[in-house]
Parts: sequence; C-alpha cells; structure tokens
Amino acid sequence: MDGVRSLVEFIGGNTSGIVERTTEHLVIVLGVMLAATLFSVFLGIAVQHRPFAKQLSLGTAGVMLTIPSLALFAIFIPLVGIGNRPAQIALFLYAILPILRNTVTGLDAVDPAIVEAAQGMGMGQVQQLFRVRIPLAWPVIIAGIRVSTQLITGVAAIAVLVGGGGLGSYIQRGLTSLGNPFSIERVWTGTIFIIVLALVLDVVLGFVGKRTTSPGIR
Amino acid sequence: MSAPTTDAGTTDTAAEEGPRTARLAVLRGELGLIVTPVVLGLAFLAYWTWLGAQDLSMQATSALTTDNLVRQTREQLTITALSTVGVLIIAIPLGIGLTRPRGQRFAGPALAIANAGQAVPAYGLLVLALAVLGGVFGRANDNFLQNTLGEWLGPGLVITVISLILFAILPVLRNTMVGLQQVDQDIIEAGLGMGMTRREVLWRIEMPLAVPVMLAGVRTALVINVGMATLAFLIGGGGLGVTIRSGIQLSQNIVVLTGGVLTALLALSIDWLGGVVERVLRPKGI
Repeated sequence: MDGVRSLVEFIGGNTSGIVERTTEHLVIVLGVMLAATLFSVFLGIAVQHRPFAKQLSLGTAGVMLTIPSLALFAIFIPLVGIGNRPAQIALFLYAILPILRNTVTGLDAVDPAIVEAAQGMGMGQVQQLFRVRIPLAWPVIIAGIRVSTQLITGVAAIAVLVGGGGLGSYIQRGLTSLGNPFSIERVWTGTIFIIVLALVLDVVLGFVGKRTTSPGIR
Repeated sequence: MSAPTTDAGTTDTAAEEGPRTARLAVLRGELGLIVTPVVLGLAFLAYWTWLGAQDLSMQATSALTTDNLVRQTREQLTITALSTVGVLIIAIPLGIGLTRPRGQRFAGPALAIANAGQAVPAYGLLVLALAVLGGVFGRANDNFLQNTLGEWLGPGLVITVISLILFAILPVLRNTMVGLQQVDQDIIEAGLGMGMTRREVLWRIEMPLAVPVMLAGVRTALVINVGMATLAFLIGGGGLGVTIRSGIQLSQNIVVLTGGVLTALLALSIDWLGGVVERVLRPKGI
C-alpha cells in the first residue's frame, strides 16, 4: 500500500506536468486519427468496387501493421528528422487498416436494393454516397476508428524514443532513473494515464458514434 | 508493440464477400506465400548493396559491423521464439479450459481482463516488468532464474520474454476460445451420439475445426512478439533496437535507417513464416 500512497503523492505533486504531457499525447493521437480517418474512408470509398485496388490497399495497410513500431518510426527519421513528426507519420500508417477495412466491409454490407431505391428516387452518385451508403456503413466505420484510436494511443508511448513528446516521457524518465525515488511512480503514471486516455477516447468515440448514427438504424 | 488488434476488427465486423473477391483473396494468399520471400530477399539485397556503396562515417562503420547486426538479429529471433512458445503453452490450454463446461463461467471475466490488457502500452509494461522482476532477480542469490536461465540467456532477455508472453497471450487466448465456441453444437452432438467421449470430441472434432482461427491468433502473437522484441534493448535484452537507438544517439541517420529496415524485413519474414505454418497446419476439408 506504500507504493499506492507514493504514487498518489507523485501524481498529486505533478498535476500540471501530467496535464501537459497528456495534452501532448492527445494532440498527437487526435491529429493522426483525423488524418487517418479522412484518408482511409475516402480510400475505402474509392476502392470498394475495384477488387484489385481493394486487395492492394488492404494488403499494403496490413504490411504497415506488421512492421514493428520503432522500426517504422526509425525509417522516417532520415526523411523528417527526430521529434513528433516521424512518430506521427508511422502512427498514421498504422491507423489506416482498421478504418479502411471497416469502411469497405461497411459499404459492402449496404443492401443493394436500398441503393437502387435511392437511385430510383432520383439521387445522383454523390447523394447516394453521402445520404444513403455512408450513413448505413457508419456504425461499422466508427468501430474501425475506435480500434485504431486504441492502437495509436498505446503505440504513441514510444514517440519519446525518437525525440517526441507525450506520456511516454514519464516512462522514459522513470526508466533512466530506476532505483532513485519516484522512478517507479513515474513509470506507473505514464502507463496508467495512457490507459485512461485510451479508455476515455473509446467512451467518447462510442458516444459520438451513437449520436452520429442515423436514428433509423440505431 | 505493433499489431495488437490486427484481427480484432474482423471478427465482429466481417461481412459477406462476393465470390469474385473471395477468389482474389485466396489467389493473393497463395501467390503471396511464394512471392513474399522473393520480394523480401530482393529488398534485403538491394538495401545491402546500397549501404555498401555509401560513404560511411567512422561512427556508422563501428555501429554497423556484420557481427553486431547478426548478433542482434539472433537475439531478436530468440526473444520472439521463446515468447511465442511460452504464449502457446499458456494460452491454448487456458483457452480450452475456459470453453469446457466447468470453466465456462470464468470465460467472460477472463476475456474482459485480456481485452483491458490490450490498452496497456508495451513500453510501460516492459519497464514495469524490469522494475518488478529486476528486484526479484537482484534479491535471489542462488535460484534457478538467476543462475541457470539468467546466465544462459541474460536477465534482460528473461524479463523481456516474460513481459512479451503477458502481452501476446490475448490474441491466442481469444482466438482459441472463439475457434472452439464457433464449432457447430450439432456436430458435437453427433460425435457424442456416435459414442465418442468428451475427450475424443475435443481432440477429433472441436480442435481440428478450431485450428484455422487459433492459427490466426498465433500469427498475430508472432507479429506482436517480433515488434515488442525491438523494444527489448530498453531493458538490456538486446535485439535490433540497439542499432536504432545508437543511430539516434549518434545522429547517424544511416544507422537508424539500417536498424529500421532490417527490423522491418525481419518482421515481414516472420509474418510470412507464420502464413506458411498457417497454410501447412490447416486441416484439409475446411
């Protein structure tokens, strides 16, 4: 219980630093997720009816997820230098697959009869897409966004290893000062706040997903 | 940590694919297994040739000796192999136990815990394992862990393997359970009706039918492990992460790039190997 008490003490004494690091972490995650969502949803729409392009893009996105995070971060360092940038690019590449795959499966699952009905009502391609197909696929797309967000929030912890910021800083500081007072507390702080951030983002996205889902299919 | 959720989305969101796409996917899978090693080998040769043509600084040359790179690759492979075997030994029996009538009431909580564990950042888990287990290693003067395993593999490596096992249990456990649960109840009934015992039903009906899903989990675990092994350097476990770190510390981009490219090629080769195993072990007729 001593451990818990000193952890609480450490967190209590470092609230401003923790808020700052959490904000850094959140900014990395939100920026990456926004870019990855826009990119993957558009890509998903573009390749849905092209089997070859679909397999190619899903395959490539899968390869990205196979490459170890630190290696992918490292590959971008010669191009963009150290800092948050290489981490953001790598995280962006990681975030694509779950969203892309769910966009494609979500759109595939839309009943062709409904699309035909929309066409019969005089909707053009664009209207069909934005008023019928995407709204129907939206719950599945949101599920993909949630998976990606969880993944990115955790992996962003190692941005600090390539000179970036975020909550990983606490883990790193703890590691380099192991054996000194408050070293373990730093590691726990970084780890716990990353988990909390991931869970909070998941709950928020779940809520947003519910609110933005068309009432007819909720 | 690289791909904890590779298979997470498919299970609940997969929709029916058209026959044409399905055939393409199969074709891609078969072709991929043949083409991948060729592409990876060519990529390796191309990078190695390019690297040889570069004018390397003293620092880069001393970091990139063949000895270093081979040793780190071997360390990374050892970590990956040991932790994957560890995961299989723990997760598959556990998964079977949790789907038996007596274990079923623990299935929900076990999956919930395993799912929550997924949100734990790999970096944090490694350092916490070092802090906790490092203490155990330090206190024990004459135990098996320190003297036998520790000397043979190095304490950093043992700690790395333990935390990797913790981290990669989830996909194998979940896929074992899902694989067993999705077996048609009627087929099990038929087996029992033919006079098979529960044990025979498990080994001759349920397991073979669950193998494809279980193997997918094993492949995911392999990918997670090879990715996590890149972070082993943080706690003294070695691996190719060492080259990446020294490159960053020395501001030698070419060293960073070499570490990154070699790690990526290694991970892709391991994933390919997992794909081959998946294909070979999959029972005929499913």
